[in-house]
Amino acid sequence: MRLTACDAAARTLGLVPGMTLTDAQARVPELAVADADPAADQQWLERIADACDRFTPLVEAEPPDGLILDMTGGLHLFGGETALIAQVEARMRRWASHVHLAMAATPEGARALARFQTVPVADEAAALRRLPVAALELEADALRDLRRAGLKTIADLADRPAAPLAARFGAALIDRLDRLLGRSDSRIVPRRTAPALVLERRFAEPIATVEAAMAVIGDLAREAAQVLAERHRGGRRFVARLYRTDGHVIELAVESGLPLRDPPRIARLFAEGVGALADPIDPGFGFDMIRLAVPRDEPLAAAQLALEGGEAREEAVAALIDRLSARVGRERVRRFVPRDSHIPEQAALALPAIDLATPASWPAPEPGEPPLRPIRLFDPPQLVEVIAGLPDGPPQRFRWRRILHEVARAEGPERIGGQWWRRAPGDPGLARDYYRVEDVRGRRFWLFRHGLYGEGARDPRWYVHGLFA
Amino acid sequence: MSEKDHKDHLRMTTAPAFAELVTASHFSFLRGTSHPADLIARAIELGLAGIGIADRNTVAGVVRAWSALRDAREKAAEVGTAVTLPRFVVGARLVFVDGTPDIVAYPQDRAAWGRLTRLLTTGNLRAEKGDCILRLEDLLAFQAGLQLIVLPHSSAKPQRERRNPVEHHSAAPVPPLTLVQPEGLAPLLVRLARLAPGRVWLGAVMPRRGPDARRLAEMATLAAQAGVPLLATNDVLYASAEQRPLHDIVSCIREGVTIAQAGTRLEVNGERHLKAPEEMARLFRDQPQAIAETMHFLDGISFDLKQLAYEYPHEPVPEGWAPQAWLEQLVLEAAHARYGAVLPKDVRKRLDEEFALIVRQNYACYFLTVHDLVRFARAQDPPILCQGRGSAANSIVCFLLGVTSVDPSEHDLLFSRFVSEERNEPPDIDVDFEHERREEVMQYVYRRYGRHRAAIAATVIHYRPRSAVREVGKALGLSEDVTARIVSTVWGSFSREMPEKRFAEAGSDPGAPAVRRLIDLVDQLLAAPFPRHLSQHVGGFILTQDRLDETVPLHNAAMAERTFAEWDKDDIDALGIMKVDVLALGMLSCIRRAFALLAEHGHGAHTLEVDLAADDPAVYAMLEEGDSIGVFQVESRAQMNMLPRLKPKNLYDLTVQVAIVRPGPIEGDMVHPYLRRRWGEEPADYPSPAPPHDPDELCNLLGRTYGVPIFQEQAMKLAITAAGFTPSEANRLRRAMATFRNHGGIDKFREKLVGGMTARGYTEEFALRCFRQIEGFGSYGFPESHALSFARLVYISAWIKCHHPAVFACALLNAQPMGFYAPAQIVRDAREHDVEVRPIDINHSAWDCTLEPRADGALALRLGLRQIDGFRQEWTRALVMAREEGAFASIEALARRADLPTRALRLLADADGFGSLGLSRREALWEVRRTPAGELPLFAAVRARELGEEPAAHLPTMPMGEEVAADYQAVRLSLKDHPMTFVRPALVREGVLTCAQTSAARSSTRVSTGGVVLVRQRPGKGNAIFITIEDETGITNVLLWARLFERYRRAVMASRLMVVTGQVQRSREGVVHLMASHVVDRTELLGLLSEEPPQPPLCPPNEVARPVQHRHPRDVCILPGSRDFH
Repeated sequence: MRLTACDAAARTLGLVPGMTLTDAQARVPELAVADADPAADQQWLERIADACDRFTPLVEAEPPDGLILDMTGGLHLFGGETALIAQVEARMRRWASHVHLAMAATPEGARALARFQTVPVADEAAALRRLPVAALELEADALRDLRRAGLKTIADLADRPAAPLAARFGAALIDRLDRLLGRSDSRIVPRRTAPALVLERRFAEPIATVEAAMAVIGDLAREAAQVLAERHRGGRRFVARLYRTDGHVIELAVESGLPLRDPPRIARLFAEGVGALADPIDPGFGFDMIRLAVPRDEPLAAAQLALEGGEAREEAVAALIDRLSARVGRERVRRFVPRDSHIPEQAALALPAIDLATPASWPAPEPGEPPLRPIRLFDPPQLVEVIAGLPDGPPQRFRWRRILHEVARAEGPERIGGQWWRRAPGDPGLARDYYRVEDVRGRRFWLFRHGLYGEGARDPRWYVHGLFA
Repeated sequence: MSEKDHKDHLRMTTAPAFAELVTASHFSFLRGTSHPADLIARAIELGLAGIGIADRNTVAGVVRAWSALRDAREKAAEVGTAVTLPRFVVGARLVFVDGTPDIVAYPQDRAAWGRLTRLLTTGNLRAEKGDCILRLEDLLAFQAGLQLIVLPHSSAKPQRERRNPVEHHSAAPVPPLTLVQPEGLAPLLVRLARLAPGRVWLGAVMPRRGPDARRLAEMATLAAQAGVPLLATNDVLYASAEQRPLHDIVSCIREGVTIAQAGTRLEVNGERHLKAPEEMARLFRDQPQAIAETMHFLDGISFDLKQLAYEYPHEPVPEGWAPQAWLEQLVLEAAHARYGAVLPKDVRKRLDEEFALIVRQNYACYFLTVHDLVRFARAQDPPILCQGRGSAANSIVCFLLGVTSVDPSEHDLLFSRFVSEERNEPPDIDVDFEHERREEVMQYVYRRYGRHRAAIAATVIHYRPRSAVREVGKALGLSEDVTARIVSTVWGSFSREMPEKRFAEAGSDPGAPAVRRLIDLVDQLLAAPFPRHLSQHVGGFILTQDRLDETVPLHNAAMAERTFAEWDKDDIDALGIMKVDVLALGMLSCIRRAFALLAEHGHGAHTLEVDLAADDPAVYAMLEEGDSIGVFQVESRAQMNMLPRLKPKNLYDLTVQVAIVRPGPIEGDMVHPYLRRRWGEEPADYPSPAPPHDPDELCNLLGRTYGVPIFQEQAMKLAITAAGFTPSEANRLRRAMATFRNHGGIDKFREKLVGGMTARGYTEEFALRCFRQIEGFGSYGFPESHALSFARLVYISAWIKCHHPAVFACALLNAQPMGFYAPAQIVRDAREHDVEVRPIDINHSAWDCTLEPRADGALALRLGLRQIDGFRQEWTRALVMAREEGAFASIEALARRADLPTRALRLLADADGFGSLGLSRREALWEVRRTPAGELPLFAAVRARELGEEPAAHLPTMPMGEEVAADYQAVRLSLKDHPMTFVRPALVREGVLTCAQTSAARSSTRVSTGGVVLVRQRPGKGNAIFITIEDETGITNVLLWARLFERYRRAVMASRLMVVTGQVQRSREGVVHLMASHVVDRTELLGLLSEEPPQPPLCPPNEVARPVQHRHPRDVCILPGSRDFH
């Protein structure tokens, strides 16, 4: 494992990115280490890039830690270069502890100055010429050979004839040098932030009712469906924005478990969403624009119904889940998924159904074998009084909820060991002995003794943990 | 009758006899959890009637169990108690790749054992290392005489087949032609029962899975239908119930998951331990005959490991000769050649004694086999140098056969220290060969005896503190930085225990539950000790007359062309099997190269002659100065410090010198008494017992070492003579000593030894020291004869260094990697001995370093292309071949004629190898960058291809500091200057002294000195850290106490250039240390070497230069950064 980044304090201790963790800790045992999280870094950069939209729409992100803003023709809006830099700096201070800013005639020049300049020089051309050759960001061995040849700054290269350099270090070096020095033209590639699809409708005369607005959303959904169908995609998230004439914006968002482009269903989801709102929508003086966006979409082939209609049924369940989730909340509609655990109550997990595109597959029971797990599990298990043979005989009779059950048949024990790793060291945890029992009236129970005789618990307690069908 | 006795009595009378026959030890790698000895101990405790150990496709652990039972029997016999010990049977659990349920196989007799081991060998050789690929038809081919327990399920995992199977003379019986896959358990049982009537059982378990009773009834029906008996077992994975957590963790390591994710990959409960007969009877109360069947099963087996009768190969004996007669013939011939027609009386007596013992123990073939190897090596052209080491040098037979080079009659070495009847253990002859050519000898062994008769012994790789913490931590779900931090505080990997302090040191609170749990589990893992996998021994060969694969299963080694047997040297010892160690010694390669150079340059022919005069005073004068860089065995810092104190004057002094700087004598505090007595500062007094014991009983033993035990066998002999150990006890002590790093438990011997010695009237202080010495020897003690063999090489290498320093440096550089020092130090040392060292040059250098005659007749050392990091031998071959047509006139000519790739040209330019063309490094690099690689075939005809003329580049000249830095980057040394020269002005301004000034300073003065860090060490108990720094004037040895280390940790660990302030301490012999009180990291000064940022001017300090194979980790060298602990 290697260090990917160090803060200023770590650098003063001589730690640098690229060093192995063992090495770093041998030097600084009290070093605080956190796992690298490139995804979070990327998000952080995206957020800053978003914030930079206020300066110019042309922002290029340079992961992991750079942004390039194309200010061509926009300087006057901010009161000139100096004022702009002051504004950018002020804003960046909120986001990052260290900012290197530079302004130049080309993106490469600005970039090189921001990253490689050590001493500030007023004149742009002179500053660029004083940069080390590392600013060209060539491969390590080319860079090393340049230094070995005694060519250490951009100036050393800029003054030489291009042909001998190109013969040794390739045309790329000359190309980069030219871009850096503004000898050739270059542009940035602004990041794309637009959602997959945006449709809008403007009204000369504001529409005044929510019903009319919902109808418009339905129309937009039909248009969206057409575009999505052409692209062979379906939406997982739909956002409708209702722009009120007074400037207020109302946002409605719905989600779907499966990619979706069926207009009536989209409209219905919005209707469910509106119905479930705590405060009804206030149209005020009406809406002058309605916009429907699909920020998240996924591939969806053209629908084809299976002959038996099986596919349709699956979709119907999904549609039901979408509707229920939209109405009562995504957290409240759940589905079971299996979990790999010996402990019965941990062997299944209830997750929001809308997150599970397809139902989980469960291990098939052995043919001819009675079910080993009950259909219904009590949480928590319920205490019972039991009479059973020692040390591990099955229950003979037990009292549950004040009713005495006489056991007719029993099988077990199924012994499930305690999870020692969740307990204090040295305490292995109590094992459970499970029995499947049937009482004289044919009712089937799942009982367990918590703890074994002669191991830890003196007088182990009994519980009923579930009921078989 | 006490309550316990009563209970035991009851158990004896009421519990049915039960034998557990399906038991996995931890040699079922990462599946079983208990040491075989622990399983045996638990079986005795529970009163089992028998126990069978059957590991997963292996018998690697059975000898340990067998030895444990033997020890228990010996102990019981000594104490005189009548304990009924369980019967022990050995087998293997066969796991098939074709879906067949697991089958446990036990051989009934010796012949069946051979079939089992051949079956396993067949599977092993098919698989990649560590796996075994078996199919049902393999078992059917080898089933005769095997008793089979069919288990209900298969536990197979996918495995990979080996692409190129090693050629192995297998001649397996042809399997039956019908290979219809059995559909389930029932058809399989029927089929097996028909093939092996009366030898098939169905194994039934009661695993507490719920429907146990129902399943048992089904199994009983199944067995009855197939006509095979049902056999009760618990399918055991560990000895006792408490081991479940460890087993879970081991399962996690195997599956590569954390315990929280493991889920159903773990056993559902902790029931798979050895259970008492009454508990088994209770579980199987529905099928009591299944319990009784275990005894029937035992009755069928007569095989015991002690039946592995063993015979050495007969190959070396010519037709018509008996081995003994041939041996005597060879030896007597050599004896007459050496001592004349009439043998001296002493020699005659020795020979008679040894011959008699060899006859009685039937060792003749063994000696002849070793002789055969040595003869092969010497018959090569050029001959491979070799020399026997170890206790074999006590034998005159070995000497006369040419196996060892020390005449035991001249040095008064005793044969009984090599082999003795009362110890009744096989002799062990170790022979060193040149390390570069040992493979030839090994392949000769395979060729001569065949792969089915020769194999290398195994080495069991155990979990070490580092690996245990890392893997257990991972399984417990601790983040890697926590475990890495704990691991980072483990110094070296040889300490057995993982003291809690280490965890505390790492800043992890030992009280925290997660860390507490980690400690517990790591402790258990290290206490066992837990095997990780099998690997091959460095060179221990087992050879047999009959098929070796009918004695022990063979495996593919990771190294191509090698196969190894799955028992390690302890197992082999325990069974009385002999092995011969074919070892590699770098110094022999170096000496051979030196001899060749001496002959080539007219300095005469030299051999490893047996009668070394070893009396050149110039050699001893040199050693006395501590001038021993590169000299065999005495080049380490500790040895260098000892040389001026011990002042060796003859070969025997060198013998002591080699043996005394070892953990044993140091731990036993024997060094200072020896030195004081040697210099007459105290009388040589022999510890003697109180009457009535013979007061002179130790005189003979300790006579030559002034009454101080130095050598391993002296310490051992002390135990017998002075502490009254019986031979059997001494035998166990020796065994414990050799393996105590693996087993611990030497403590019980402390009481015995110290008690025994004090009872006979020795002082307790002396007794304790003796014990500590024995403890310190561990596996690293030197017997006298071994030290003597090594001392010869010390003398020879010192002689070459003394009289032919250029030859010595050249040979040493060409034999790299070896020894303690890196090329930079060797070159520096050579130059200090007035050897001219010439730089690498395309028109002069070969692959190896070479010697060039100078005008004044002396030899100059020309560095070879091997010194360039990353340069390839085949490029060199092309270069040298092209050069035969004439010197290269330009870079282009070199590229074209030698057809070198650009990378090779660049490396040459980087190494400043174009001096003879008048090109500086900078000019050469500039030119190389535009020189196209090699020659395109299309242009082959157009010889005149030339690069266009260019205007002169006018590159700035390279500053000298940068040249030196570049030299270090390319070849790890510089002939131009020392990096410190360029830093010097800055240091002088700060009042920092040079190393030479420091060495000259008065004792107790406080000085600051600086240099590049060569070595950082934290030896032994870690009380002190040793740092060696170097500058342009020499080296300074720095000592830093551990408590100060914590304060300067960062500076110590991170510096490449270090400034140390402290007190000069000079010993009587003039050895200077700087006792550090302050350490500063001044690495940034190295930036002065060039204007550019110093990233990195030298190699990072912790980079391992080259991994060195088969070497004690202490000897590994890292340069030019430094050699470090972590």
